[in-house]
Amino acid sequence: MDVSQYLDIFIDETSEHIQELSDNIMALESEPDNKDTVNEIFRAAHSLKGMAGTMGFKRMQHLTHDMENVFQKVREDTVTVNSELIDILFDCLSAIEEYLDNVKNTSDEGTEDNQVLIDKLNRYLSGGAGAPAAAPAAAPAAGGGAAAAPAAGGDAAGGQEEYKHMKLDEDERLKAQEMIDGGTRVYGATVHIQKECLLKAARAFLVFKAVDDFGDILAYNPSNQDIEDEKFDLTFSILIALEGNADVEAMRSAITAVSEIEKVELGELSKDMLSKDAKPAEAAPAAEAPAAAPAPAAAPAPAAPAPAAPAEKKAAAPAAKKAAGGGKPANKPVTSRTVRVDIEKLDSLMNLVSELIIAKNSLASISSSEDGKYDSQGFHDQIEYLERVTTNLHESVMKVRMVPIESTVNKFPRMIRDLSRKLGKPMDLVMTGEETELDRTVVDQIGDPLQHLLRNSADHGIESPEDRKRAGKPEKGTIFLNAFQEGNNVIIQVGDDGGGINTEAVKNKAIERGVMSEEEAEMATQKEIIDLLFMPSFSMAKKITDISGRGVGLDVVKSNIEALGGDVEVKSTLGQGSTFIVRLPLTLAIIQALMVEVRDEKYAIALASIMTIENIAISDIKYVQAKEVIHLRGLVIPMIRLDELLDLPPKDEEPTSLTVVITKRGDKYAALVVDNLIGQQEIVIKSMGKVLENNKLISGATILGDGEVALILETNALM
Amino acid sequence: MADTGNAVGKVDAAGRHELDGADEEKKQYIVVRIGGERYGMDISLVDNIVRMQKITRVPKAPYHYRGVINLRGEVVPVMSIRRKMGLEDDEFTHATRIIIAKMEEQGLVGMIVDSVNEVIALGESEIDRSVNDSKKSDHMFINGIGKNGDELISIFEINAIVDSIDTF
Repeated sequence: MDVSQYLDIFIDETSEHIQELSDNIMALESEPDNKDTVNEIFRAAHSLKGMAGTMGFKRMQHLTHDMENVFQKVREDTVTVNSELIDILFDCLSAIEEYLDNVKNTSDEGTEDNQVLIDKLNRYLSGGAGAPAAAPAAAPAAGGGAAAAPAAGGDAAGGQEEYKHMKLDEDERLKAQEMIDGGTRVYGATVHIQKECLLKAARAFLVFKAVDDFGDILAYNPSNQDIEDEKFDLTFSILIALEGNADVEAMRSAITAVSEIEKVELGELSKDMLSKDAKPAEAAPAAEAPAAAPAPAAAPAPAAPAPAAPAEKKAAAPAAKKAAGGGKPANKPVTSRTVRVDIEKLDSLMNLVSELIIAKNSLASISSSEDGKYDSQGFHDQIEYLERVTTNLHESVMKVRMVPIESTVNKFPRMIRDLSRKLGKPMDLVMTGEETELDRTVVDQIGDPLQHLLRNSADHGIESPEDRKRAGKPEKGTIFLNAFQEGNNVIIQVGDDGGGINTEAVKNKAIERGVMSEEEAEMATQKEIIDLLFMPSFSMAKKITDISGRGVGLDVVKSNIEALGGDVEVKSTLGQGSTFIVRLPLTLAIIQALMVEVRDEKYAIALASIMTIENIAISDIKYVQAKEVIHLRGLVIPMIRLDELLDLPPKDEEPTSLTVVITKRGDKYAALVVDNLIGQQEIVIKSMGKVLENNKLISGATILGDGEVALILETNALM
Repeated sequence: MADTGNAVGKVDAAGRHELDGADEEKKQYIVVRIGGERYGMDISLVDNIVRMQKITRVPKAPYHYRGVINLRGEVVPVMSIRRKMGLEDDEFTHATRIIIAKMEEQGLVGMIVDSVNEVIALGESEIDRSVNDSKKSDHMFINGIGKNGDELISIFEINAIVDSIDTF
């Protein structure tokens, strides 16, 4: 059965089941006797197993099957849940995730059997649930992890001699094996098509035709249908049963004679290699150059490439990876990014589109009215109607792009649990507002910064249980993540009830590092000191752990968040904990902006960055260090003449008063002098094209109602 | 849209055109005029040809980028080949056109030319590649000279004209 068309669904649903399992296993740890949770887990594990089996991912199926067995026993109350079991289960989940990643990248599950995990599960089942079993089990587990790496490497080299690990269904495999038994030579071939080739399917067809003269094609990978539809990258593999005494070398030349074929790898397959449990990666000696691979037909060696010994395999895999890396940069994921859309959102879109059609028809009927005179009242009404429809349409489409942050944050409880065990500090993660929606792009990219902040809280924030006890706090620390919408922004607070930021320690560190002089440090406000933490390579960790303290820390968080158009600030009270407040724009593509005019050019300034707009008399301009400033309600604000900044000619005569737009970023201000204000407008942000994108002053462009392009000023760069 | 634009749109997508009897594979070039000279651009790199329209200046952009235009809802940077080659500045007339090239790395980039004349097909044997040997700087943008009958047409190396992204 061809299942490749279900791959997307499989990936989606598997991720969901993994998440569900992860959530429920967490819940199970806190209440081991809750039968509902166990049933949920059982169901999810069962579905996982079923899906993996249907898709032919045997290793994944095997592992999930054994997990299911464990849950079965838990359901029957024959084994008890303890944290050792939970650990094993989480390891299993990680392994399944790894399979899933492989599937995403290569549409194949990879070659890691995870036998260690399976053994552990079974040992647990057979009653070895005690602590002694845990210690020896830990050692092989580490070994298993190490073994996984080279195996993954071998997988990356999948571009080489793919025919050796073609996916065959049962019928194809049996047929091929019968053939071999009957004395027919069965060859595998992997054909590489040139990158520039435009008609891949046609080339593949010609290859098949060429092969037809020498034998029958037993199996295709990807499927014949997919090859016809050009649903393959640059390589495909086929299994050929050679006729009587057909010459393999002649077949090779026939295949390479097809134009735009880069190379073809051919090799005879033995029955072993086709058998069900043969490890596909078994034979992949990297040193073997593709051209040299096939043994001459005259020497009917049992299996041209001898199965490499395990030790060799390990050595060969990294080399193969290198070889493959030279050709193609990275494996492209085989699936596309998707957004799941609530059917209601789609319905409202559909409604709006039908309204749009009605509006268009009404306009058409007005313009074609018989007497040739337009009914201007009706015309106006229709334009207004059209405007309403387009505004709604726009809103609905934006809503389709919005997804709850849940998909990103729901992996955090598990992470905090792991950290808690690793650091030996009991702690809980409390999350609220997971349903808060953000633009898909933002949700995808906010995961890393948030994860970093949480790790930071777990590592630096929460004190050791002893310290907490001494401070009169509950031994168990609390880390929280709250998300909510505020106007056009989404706020995500990440914090803890730990020790807070020790500003004295930061100060000392700053002086020690020479970032500040002692006098400066004395004068600095608490906020200024906390801001030091966001400086590149300023780490406060006393020792470097693998959790944090490498100095690639908060500065990266800050720049990541700023790249998304957001900002981050910190509130901290010594002894009571600290909170990082991340502010993100609801959507990236559309902003409210103030349109201004400088000479005859129009610019947009993001409304969110504007504090006020003022009229300033020339006589009110003051000078500080020969720079123009204005003094406004107690603030001294540097003045920036946009015409100068934008290389425009100065005005012939200075007017008596200036219009200034006061922009704010954090606690920094700037007063931008403009000629004219046009008004507030919702604008769609567009890129200026790659060659001009790096402009520091201009963050993008937008298209105005009359089709003209206006540029968006990057006010942050002016501060 | 511009007449020339339509004519160009109908050209065989692969930019190949077999002439009767000629077994050499020919490439098609759009012939444009800049000043008194005629230049050819490989048609496979050309996405579109549009009439001159309002260009929004981009401050602090390199001198030879005149700004950006609105190409059916997309913002596309437009450069002046004259400025890039150090010729006199452009003079916009009704014949001025913007050739929109589609670059693999840089995306869409517009190039202003004085006029678009025709589309010709040249085989490799009709192009003199020896210009590359010359060290003269204005030859940097040219990778050959095509002979179309009596006429000589300098073939642009578009990759040399459009700056690579990392030069900024």
